[in-house]
Amino acid sequence: MGAARNALYYLVHPNQLRSIIQWKVWHEPVHRRNTEDETETEAACFQYLDLTSRSFSAVIKELNPELLMPICLFYLVLRGLDTIEDDMTIDIKEKEPLLRNFSVHMEQDGWTFDKNGPNEKDRELLVHFDSVIVELKKVKKPYYEIIKDITIKMGNGMADYAINAEHNINGINTIDEYELYCHYVAGLVGEGLTRLFVASELANPQLLVRTDLTESMGQMLQKINIIRDVHEDWVDKRRFWPKEIWSQYVNNWDDLFAIENREKALQCSSHMVLNALKHADECLFYMAGIRDQSVFNFVAIPQSMAIATLELVFRNPAIFERNIKITKGDACQLMIESTQNLRVVCDVFRKYIKRIHKKNDPRDPNYLAISTQCGKIEQFIESIFPTQDPKKIEAAAKPAEPTMDTGEAFMLVASVVATLALIGLLMVGLAWFMGARMDKFFNNMDNFLGGSAPKVTPSLIPVPGRDEL
Amino acid sequence: MASEKKPALGSVMVIGGCGFLGHHVVRVLLRDYNCSVSVIDLRCTRNRRPESDGVSYHEADITDAAKLESIFSQTKPDVVIHTASPPAQSNDSVSHALFKKVNVDGTAAVVKACQKTGVKALVYTSSASVMSDNRSDLINADERWPTVRGSQQSEYYSETKAAAEELVLAANRAPEAPKLLTCSIRPSGIMGEGDTMVLYHLINILHQGRSGVQVGNNDNLFDFTYVENVAHGHLLAARALLLTAASKTIPLDTERVDGEAFLITNDSPVYFWDFARAVWAAAGSPHGTEHVRVLPRSVGMVLGYCSEWFFWAIGKPPTFNRQRIVYSCMTRYYDISKAKKRLGYQPLVSLEDGIKRSVKWTLEQQESAKKA
Repeated sequence: MGAARNALYYLVHPNQLRSIIQWKVWHEPVHRRNTEDETETEAACFQYLDLTSRSFSAVIKELNPELLMPICLFYLVLRGLDTIEDDMTIDIKEKEPLLRNFSVHMEQDGWTFDKNGPNEKDRELLVHFDSVIVELKKVKKPYYEIIKDITIKMGNGMADYAINAEHNINGINTIDEYELYCHYVAGLVGEGLTRLFVASELANPQLLVRTDLTESMGQMLQKINIIRDVHEDWVDKRRFWPKEIWSQYVNNWDDLFAIENREKALQCSSHMVLNALKHADECLFYMAGIRDQSVFNFVAIPQSMAIATLELVFRNPAIFERNIKITKGDACQLMIESTQNLRVVCDVFRKYIKRIHKKNDPRDPNYLAISTQCGKIEQFIESIFPTQDPKKIEAAAKPAEPTMDTGEAFMLVASVVATLALIGLLMVGLAWFMGARMDKFFNNMDNFLGGSAPKVTPSLIPVPGRDEL
Repeated sequence: MASEKKPALGSVMVIGGCGFLGHHVVRVLLRDYNCSVSVIDLRCTRNRRPESDGVSYHEADITDAAKLESIFSQTKPDVVIHTASPPAQSNDSVSHALFKKVNVDGTAAVVKACQKTGVKALVYTSSASVMSDNRSDLINADERWPTVRGSQQSEYYSETKAAAEELVLAANRAPEAPKLLTCSIRPSGIMGEGDTMVLYHLINILHQGRSGVQVGNNDNLFDFTYVENVAHGHLLAARALLLTAASKTIPLDTERVDGEAFLITNDSPVYFWDFARAVWAAAGSPHGTEHVRVLPRSVGMVLGYCSEWFFWAIGKPPTFNRQRIVYSCMTRYYDISKAKKRLGYQPLVSLEDGIKRSVKWTLEQQESAKKA
């Protein structure tokens, strides 16, 4: 996109620009990394973090100092593993032991690896892996044990996939295989992180009991990436969508991308979206167990991005043509809303759930299942933040006793209303001046006023609502 | 359940056992339980089981206390499932009198007959609508919500269901018969084979080509329940009451079933118009949502108001009114954790399968009506 095109885009979408500015200008990190007395190897680690991760480096760097370095190193170790696994120029005979023994190498002083292909984008990390090893030795024992344990599990998982000929030729067949794959690439990371959060007393220890919640966090992120990247992966001749799902819609994988099968492909993608959506309520539940603001931000930002991405890809034919992404303005808006509290994140989920339900098509075989899944997520949010209180409803049902004559009451109410209106107006003006978000308010206003009134004939509404027998 | 041993319910009496819900209760009893089944209904000609099932049918009006008692003395039920209720379709003074007579007086007679003949368990079919004032939303409501009574309750039908439920629950361990245990089931939006209301109306709308109008923004969640799940809920409750009766101790407050009301749904709240569209799709509608025009609630209310005046002027009951607009825009769904925890309830049939079965049945009915 050229600069002129950018300028034009933001001229037409001022809200997007506003979100970006708001995030860049007003966002105050919970913790700021102290760079003054940083050692050389520490600085190197953060340099590689920036190099290897665009989305995660910012949130990692704002983490609670207790977990800052352990999680940064955890990320770099897993990235190192990933770089070996991804590299198709490494012979499998060499790759398998490398993956399985990575947890040994990461304890060998001065270990580096320079046999990655020249095009491997993160090869620099492994070339200078000795810096990471120096820092790993300084990590507190309990945290280090967690990092090591996950590295062993993931290394073995990756090695198993690498030598699995059936998997390499036919890709993923069943939904179980699909979820097992997501477990290895994302669920395990989640497990490690949860253990780190609990070990540092920044999360509720119950999260170690409800391991299904952690698993859902990883599954949700990974599945949504897999749905979004379907075209890119297809071009690269990789397939992660399970045959058990796509074979219900097309006979051959390649048919999914043929223009004449677009409706079938969309239905197939709905099926994939439905499969990912089943984790959403557990993700919210998981986030309720986080006790530290910086950790909350760290886990909530990717989830909000994920639910927004899910809405973007849902019934969107573009996913079969190119790689699509949420806009930068939306991303900034989501980051603002993910760095507050669970209630605001629930509102984000609800907003995107409603959009998904609006896009749902009755001709899609997954229509009702998606609708009830959206309903289930809304119901779950209600269960943690109830709108109604039975005690208040009961109290309201009793007629109140009159305590004032009406003339007096009217004057009192009128003066209160006038005062409130004046203060309100001043506050709204001031808030806007200071950069408050009023887009939501105006969107609501717009919805309320929007929609034309078509002519109707009487008796077009079904009678529901009573529980007839 | 074929491989396991079926749970025993002894002798079971289903009042209203030829009705919409009642005949499903009879069907599930015969399928899932070890018991002998009798039925009382006003007319026992429709929805009758084949002779080989061994169900004994008795024609009686439940407001006839003496007749009820004599049938009870003869069949000696351990369990009574009371599902009888007139259809809630109309709202005039004639139907009001009928609601009062059947729901309140009839239920009082059933309670008395149970007390006099040594019945162990009475399960009453109430309605989730007893908690609704038909105006306000019910958002994830559970049994802690108050019932809406008297002048607050705009539907007289719901008022009589609530009054009857009160009678039934008051009879639990009452001095007249301390051994009689009772509970109440509150289903929401029942649909299924035999339903001549919700599904029938919706499919008519489709056939008249009126599926293209949506009132309100369709963000309102609603609970619809497949009839077999409602029947299942009743029988789990009956079983729990019998187990309570057999145990020597009174259960803890957090576990008890006797004297309690239970909401029963499909545990799948769904957006109101999504439900309608799922029904239409199952009935063969080729439409997506591209033909749908959205009528804002406020405009619908004005039109409903005009319609009410118009029909008042021509002296007929309105076919379209504000209440219909309110219903289609109202959020009304429930949290059924209590039934899940205390009754072990889980829906047997998903909403999707329930819709498919119900629509198939409704279409077959309409087809055979056309031929006749």
